[in-house]
Amino acid sequence: MTNDNLNKLLVFCVLFCAQKTSIVHGAQALETKVALLLHAEPENPKCFAEGMSDLTCFWEEDEERTGSADQYSFIYTYQNENSSECSITALPAAGGKRLYFCRLSQTQLFVPLDIRVFRDDLLIHNRSLFIELVFLLDPPANLTLTSTGTQGQLKASWLPPSLKYMGDSMMYEVSYAMAGSHIGKVEEVQASSELILRGLQSGTKYKVRIRVKLDGISYSGYWSAWTDPVLMETMPGDLDPLIVSLSLIISLVLTLLSLLVLMSHRRFLLKKIWPIIPTPESKFQVFIYIFCEWLGHSTGGLWLRPAYFYSEEFPAPLEVLSEVSLGPALPSSALPPKASEALGEEDEDEKLKRVDSALEGWRETPQEHWPMDQLRAIHQHPAPWTQSSLLESHDAYVTLNAQNHSGEELLDDILEETLPLQVLFASGRTSSESRSDLGSFQQSSGLGRLSSQSSFEYPNHTWPPKGPGYTYMAVADSGVSMDYSPMSSSKIDDIGKGVIYTNEYKNEIPAHRRPIGTPIPFAF
Amino acid sequence: MCVCVCPRAGLPSPVRPICDPRVLDRFIMEARDTETALRGCKAGCGVTGTFVVPLTNVDFVVWETKDTEEQALEVQSGMSLFGQALGAVRESVSRVAVQILIDNNKSNIHSLGQVLRSLHIQDLPLPPAPAVGDLVTRKVSSLSELLHVHTNFLRGKVRLLLTNAPACQQNST
Repeated sequence: MTNDNLNKLLVFCVLFCAQKTSIVHGAQALETKVALLLHAEPENPKCFAEGMSDLTCFWEEDEERTGSADQYSFIYTYQNENSSECSITALPAAGGKRLYFCRLSQTQLFVPLDIRVFRDDLLIHNRSLFIELVFLLDPPANLTLTSTGTQGQLKASWLPPSLKYMGDSMMYEVSYAMAGSHIGKVEEVQASSELILRGLQSGTKYKVRIRVKLDGISYSGYWSAWTDPVLMETMPGDLDPLIVSLSLIISLVLTLLSLLVLMSHRRFLLKKIWPIIPTPESKFQVFIYIFCEWLGHSTGGLWLRPAYFYSEEFPAPLEVLSEVSLGPALPSSALPPKASEALGEEDEDEKLKRVDSALEGWRETPQEHWPMDQLRAIHQHPAPWTQSSLLESHDAYVTLNAQNHSGEELLDDILEETLPLQVLFASGRTSSESRSDLGSFQQSSGLGRLSSQSSFEYPNHTWPPKGPGYTYMAVADSGVSMDYSPMSSSKIDDIGKGVIYTNEYKNEIPAHRRPIGTPIPFAF
Repeated sequence: MCVCVCPRAGLPSPVRPICDPRVLDRFIMEARDTETALRGCKAGCGVTGTFVVPLTNVDFVVWETKDTEEQALEVQSGMSLFGQALGAVRESVSRVAVQILIDNNKSNIHSLGQVLRSLHIQDLPLPPAPAVGDLVTRKVSSLSELLHVHTNFLRGKVRLLLTNAPACQQNST
């Protein structure tokens, strides 16, 4: 095959493909226009002009009435002219219906046109129209969106339908909405091929479409189909410099005010956020020791008496007994705490074993002198322990024994921290609560021996008397506070001989707990 | 919009061409309003007789084969026929409202003549009065039909002539 033949074949193919594409496109456009007119035009036949010299008319028949195109005849007559007939074409439609078309390629405008449609010589449709008033144009082409350089604006431009004589008679409807939104606005513009959309949101994507129609003065018709939507995003909004600067200034002022408030209430806030948690270990070692000792002796009876845990009304007095050391006077620095311990001679050997050497380093506390008359009265007529109202069945008594470091050891060297906390009390409390009560307890250094005993060991109020060598103190622990009361010493006469210190206690055994006429013994 | 109509002949045409299509559009709309207002006029508003009017049909294929002078001649002869017909109608109507409408349309026809002159479309010697059955004229027997044809003539041939006037084409380019 020669080159010429190939070239011809190639040109033929291109034209055929173009025509095929055009035909396909034209078919799609026709289908769109038919659908539009079926919706917009109530009369039959439905006619529309696409250009300056054409007219397309069609009507629809139901499935049961459909027949061949030969059954129909389309007769048209211009004013003051003879009638003419148009050839009919049938095409299938949806739902089993059929469409019958008549297309005129040469028309006259500005003159009435009479149309009559017959089916088997039966007039089925009759209509009179002006062709220049039934234009149905193609949608505008090349819809383009551009930025105008101004915030909130977009410029829409398009190509009008290429119809001669009608450019100034066209009107357009521009529909725009935010992408993804079904609510938009519509603007009309006449005899123009561009429009500036204003009042748009900054930095937002908009969807724009357009359709065309003749303005109705000289020419008129139907709205064309919408163009395919075109999307474009508007310019981002700029921050107003004044607003930005004011916002910064206000933020700075608020920050400074906040800092000032925080600084002025620094201590209060620190106290609230990070409260100082007291650590009573160093202050209650002696009581812990005593309690441990007591637990060791109690055979778990405490746990079998729920009242000890749940009773909150009556404080459980704790008697702390200690043996008074008859040795050399203790240095002044070696003083017992508020809950004093009595040193007893008689149980010194036993209690020496139980005393922790960490009792050293107790601080000296102020002494409190005991009414001597009361003490002597008790000494002369000591009430049995069992008869003391202070002693109740659920009371816990602890005697403390400390080693008798009779001056050889420097009790001053005993550090407070090394003294274990001894006893804890009794009924209805946890050890932690008791410890808090013992916060006021001050250790004293230079003690002699301390022994501890619990009244639980003697459940039937058979607390054995300690004998004359004991000075003792009753400690009542209510679970909320500790009441310390010095108790008498059996050797009241020896007070002057030995160093017995008394402490001033914050709490006292309530009056109702104290037997009438019973003096409060003192601690040393 | 007001167009100055100078009845004296020989006056020079306005210097600037009037190419704004809205001018003719206003004439068309007023003619349409008159047609609508007098459509229901009883007994034809008392107008009797027949009137010769130009044909209004436009075949674009044929129209484009005509030159500007031929188109202008067709437009001017048609406008002359309408002027004569409306004058006869004005003489026969008695109702003031109808008279006002007819006078307005006659004024618009004169103004349209001025517009044509502005486009360097000179008054051409009109052909002799067309005879009945001429291909370019026809007869009407009612006022409503006369006004209807008048409207169609303005929308068609007159507009086509003004839209494609050479003077306006030069201004747009």
